[in-house]
Amino acid sequence: MRNTLRWSAVLTGMLLVLAACQPASSGSPGQSTAESASAAASVDAAAVCAADEAGCVEIPSGEPLHIVFWGVLSGADSTLGEDSKRGVEIAIDDINNTLLGHDIQFSTEDGLCTPEGGNTAAQKLAADTTIAGLIGPSCTDESLGGMQTLYDAGMTTISSSATRAGLTVPDRPAEYAAFLRTAHSDYFQGRMVAEYLYNELGLKKLATVHDGSGYAKALAEVARTHFEELGGTITTGGDQAIAKTDTDMSAVLTAIAADPPDAIFFPVFIAGAGYLTDQAKDTPGLEDALLMSADGTFSPDYIKAAGPAALGHLISSPDTSKFAAGYQDFLAKHKAKYGGDPLSIFHAHAYDAATLVFAALEKVALTDADGTTFIPRTAYREALYASKDVEGLTGPLNCNASGDCGAPILAVYKVTAREVGPPVVWPPEAPIWAPEPDFYTK
Amino acid sequence: MALLDVDGINAFYGNIHALRDVSLSVDDGEIVTLIGANGAGKTTTLNCISGLVRPRSGTVKLAGEDLAKVQPHHIVERGVVQVPEGRRTFARLTVDENLRMGGFTLTSEANLRDGISRAYDMFPRLKERRSQTGGTLSGGEQQMLAIGRALMVSPRVLLLDEPSMGLAPTLVESIFETISSIHAQGTSILLVEQNALMALNVAGRGYVLQSGQIILSDTAANLAANEQVRQAYLGEI
Amino acid sequence: MYARVMERITDVAIAGVLWGFRIAVVLLVVVGSALTLGGGRHSAESWLSLIVSGAVLGSIYALIALGYTMVYGILRLINFAHGEIFMAGTFGGYFVATALSGIGFLNLNPITSIISVVLMMAGAIVVSVTLALLVERIAYRPLRNAPRLVPLISAIGASFFLQYTFRGFFGPGIYAYPTVGILDAQVPLGIEGFRVKWIDVLVIVSAVVMMAGLFLFVQRTKLGTSIRAVSEDKATAALMGIDVNRAIVMTFAIGAAMAGAAGVLYGLIFRQVYFFTGFVPGIKAFTAAVLGGIGNIPGAMLGGIFLGQVEGVGPTLFLSGLGVPSPNQLRDVIAFTMLVLVLIFRPSGILGERVAQRA
Repeated sequence: MRNTLRWSAVLTGMLLVLAACQPASSGSPGQSTAESASAAASVDAAAVCAADEAGCVEIPSGEPLHIVFWGVLSGADSTLGEDSKRGVEIAIDDINNTLLGHDIQFSTEDGLCTPEGGNTAAQKLAADTTIAGLIGPSCTDESLGGMQTLYDAGMTTISSSATRAGLTVPDRPAEYAAFLRTAHSDYFQGRMVAEYLYNELGLKKLATVHDGSGYAKALAEVARTHFEELGGTITTGGDQAIAKTDTDMSAVLTAIAADPPDAIFFPVFIAGAGYLTDQAKDTPGLEDALLMSADGTFSPDYIKAAGPAALGHLISSPDTSKFAAGYQDFLAKHKAKYGGDPLSIFHAHAYDAATLVFAALEKVALTDADGTTFIPRTAYREALYASKDVEGLTGPLNCNASGDCGAPILAVYKVTAREVGPPVVWPPEAPIWAPEPDFYTK
Repeated sequence: MALLDVDGINAFYGNIHALRDVSLSVDDGEIVTLIGANGAGKTTTLNCISGLVRPRSGTVKLAGEDLAKVQPHHIVERGVVQVPEGRRTFARLTVDENLRMGGFTLTSEANLRDGISRAYDMFPRLKERRSQTGGTLSGGEQQMLAIGRALMVSPRVLLLDEPSMGLAPTLVESIFETISSIHAQGTSILLVEQNALMALNVAGRGYVLQSGQIILSDTAANLAANEQVRQAYLGEI
Repeated sequence: MYARVMERITDVAIAGVLWGFRIAVVLLVVVGSALTLGGGRHSAESWLSLIVSGAVLGSIYALIALGYTMVYGILRLINFAHGEIFMAGTFGGYFVATALSGIGFLNLNPITSIISVVLMMAGAIVVSVTLALLVERIAYRPLRNAPRLVPLISAIGASFFLQYTFRGFFGPGIYAYPTVGILDAQVPLGIEGFRVKWIDVLVIVSAVVMMAGLFLFVQRTKLGTSIRAVSEDKATAALMGIDVNRAIVMTFAIGAAMAGAAGVLYGLIFRQVYFFTGFVPGIKAFTAAVLGGIGNIPGAMLGGIFLGQVEGVGPTLFLSGLGVPSPNQLRDVIAFTMLVLVLIFRPSGILGERVAQRA
């Protein structure tokens, strides 16, 4: 008995070790399955559903139409998911809670911002046959964990904040047909950071820190690679990583300080970025290093987390000043509904994702004689991919075959005394730098 | 009115009816013994008096006060102290600390010191080992410690649960001498024993407990002479 | 016969694997350390910095670990809600700090700053202790006589309940401690490339003082001794006139007070607090308690300091010499590997003989 106890304790310990190791994520090449969209208009619903590979979602007359947001809603990164969820909720308010003659039933599923959490959430979603529209997930890691399951279930999701470049490249794995996004690709974000630091500021030495997440790891790599392509160097020990749960960054910062860089780019999440910013100023050798983080930290919480050390900090993020005119209305609605400013930067992208979902549902839905609505799943996916010139808050939305729907509009922000406060004021009034428009087409 | 009066208690462990209408009493200045085989319910009876087990019916009264709602530690404050079966000295506390725990309810440091020096007077062996931990003592020393610990508060009724168990014969005798001398100083004692012969020797009265029921009660002398008792508990055939 | 032989072979195989594991770890540590130190990429000053940050982290782990170990000692219960008690203390300190900062008292002069820190500690301790006593009363005491797994599950439930209650009240966002100027300043040591802030000194000193105080309390006072007596044998303690419930409540209160104080120290160093703040330090402190030998008070202190050093210095010392890229990402791996090693080779923990003896 005691032996059993001991061994189970050992096993538990080993599991903890395993959990602490971040799984390496890789994508294998595959092919896109986006075919030409074909909205079957007035054909008999039963025939359409039988013909659709993945069948139909059925919504009986008088029953609500089910829209789900999935993403990180608990734990350390929950502001990211909460922010997007609010965007979807406002989008639902804007169509008066009704779509296709049904009330909308809105629910959420927590993906925890991890591959495992994404997988679990996806399995729950796949088991729920009432879901008509799916928005999410928040994190790249959740996408990596959950996509196969959603694809197998014939479902399609559209994310507002998973930005890893590999999610929407032309040669992405087949199951990524289930994934679209309104968020930008980090291919652009990473390159923009490198160009800003090297070309605009003339810095020569860069170090990066990621937190093992699929998002941070890939974004840091894009930035490093492009910085070197431009002619800069990565310092010795300039590719560092922290664990998402770390609070004491001194070891990492000391390692970086051994060969002091001109700038440190750490595209990690809010808590980690706060610790890095706060503790870097106390690390000998890093006093003059420029600190920069990415869209995951575009939040008043980051300023709170970093404290006074945030002054002068740089953040790469979507350029809200170039958002459509409707964005100001949205902010007013947000304030009225939630009593405050947005928690992060992807609420507008989530609103836009919801807009695309509503439009695609309206395009493919069929209603039979007794008022039952049918959503053929494959046709719905094709309709999403076929979205063209939809007016969004972030700008015009056009989905391409590899799943990118939003136009990337990125910029660099600098934290000033106005934002640091106290009290903390957010967002910054305007970005300090944005790439030339041809940057996105080069 | 008896000092300690147990009247018709019934106690259960789950569905097991451990005590059936057990009644007994201890008068001021008496030694009363409760004898019986293993599992007869002797320890349960003591635990009902100490408040560790609550009888489902019946009453336990100390000098007329019903103890049914009194917490175990308040029962100690009222002067009923038990020396549990198997000594149960605190193995990781020193002898000194063990005694101090015995005197936990004493409020003044002077009383505490007084109690400790009385214990050391009674058991000089303990004084030699005062800073050793309880776990390092021999069985006999542990029994001394357990008794000394219980006497810290100068109890009105001392409940002794199998004080001779597991001790060498010479030690058994000295323990019974100790019991007599505690009694001589005016403490009433309820003595639970398997060693019925020794118990009936020191006691004035006795009860015989069998399967949770009192089957006999008489003076110690009469019990010692009782045929049934001799056969069952004094090892005679 | 055949079964006997197979059993023997299995035993030998298991022993072999365990020995191999032991040797591999020792080799990794020795070779890694030698290569790192031989490589000379890190200056003496940076090692000093790592040791100080490990000590700071370790002090906080140790303070939290005491709560786990004391409650385990007295109830054989792993109080999983303890991390949340710590988090609540961090919040308590935060609200006192912002109030004091709001009226301009916090950084008025060094004396008001010191008074403020004391008030923050007091506020945190009040919040933590209140909550811990509620948890004890509601989630644990009714289950005192239930099988041991039952209160454990109740503890996990209490942990989630507290986390999400705080999330409900304060939202998922981050709250930031105001900076206390004098603590953020550096200790004038005059060593180039090595910096210690006053906050680091405060953390280490106050942890030492609190632990020493606790040790004296438990070893030297009547109440402290009664806690030890109850943790050894509740029934006998009750027969001695010790109020067992009071001793248990006191244990929870002391553990919570330590966690609350640790919460303020944590807030002053790391600045961030939100509903999830208690989770990781909670797990780490629990690990520290197991490392030191759960149920053993000096063990928890030692385990905390040890774990802090392993996390602070370990990745750089063991791994960077082996050319492992970004070794600090593996800090948790090292910490939990340490836990596995201890569980395999010394299940009772570093100072755990007494626990084994008792079991």
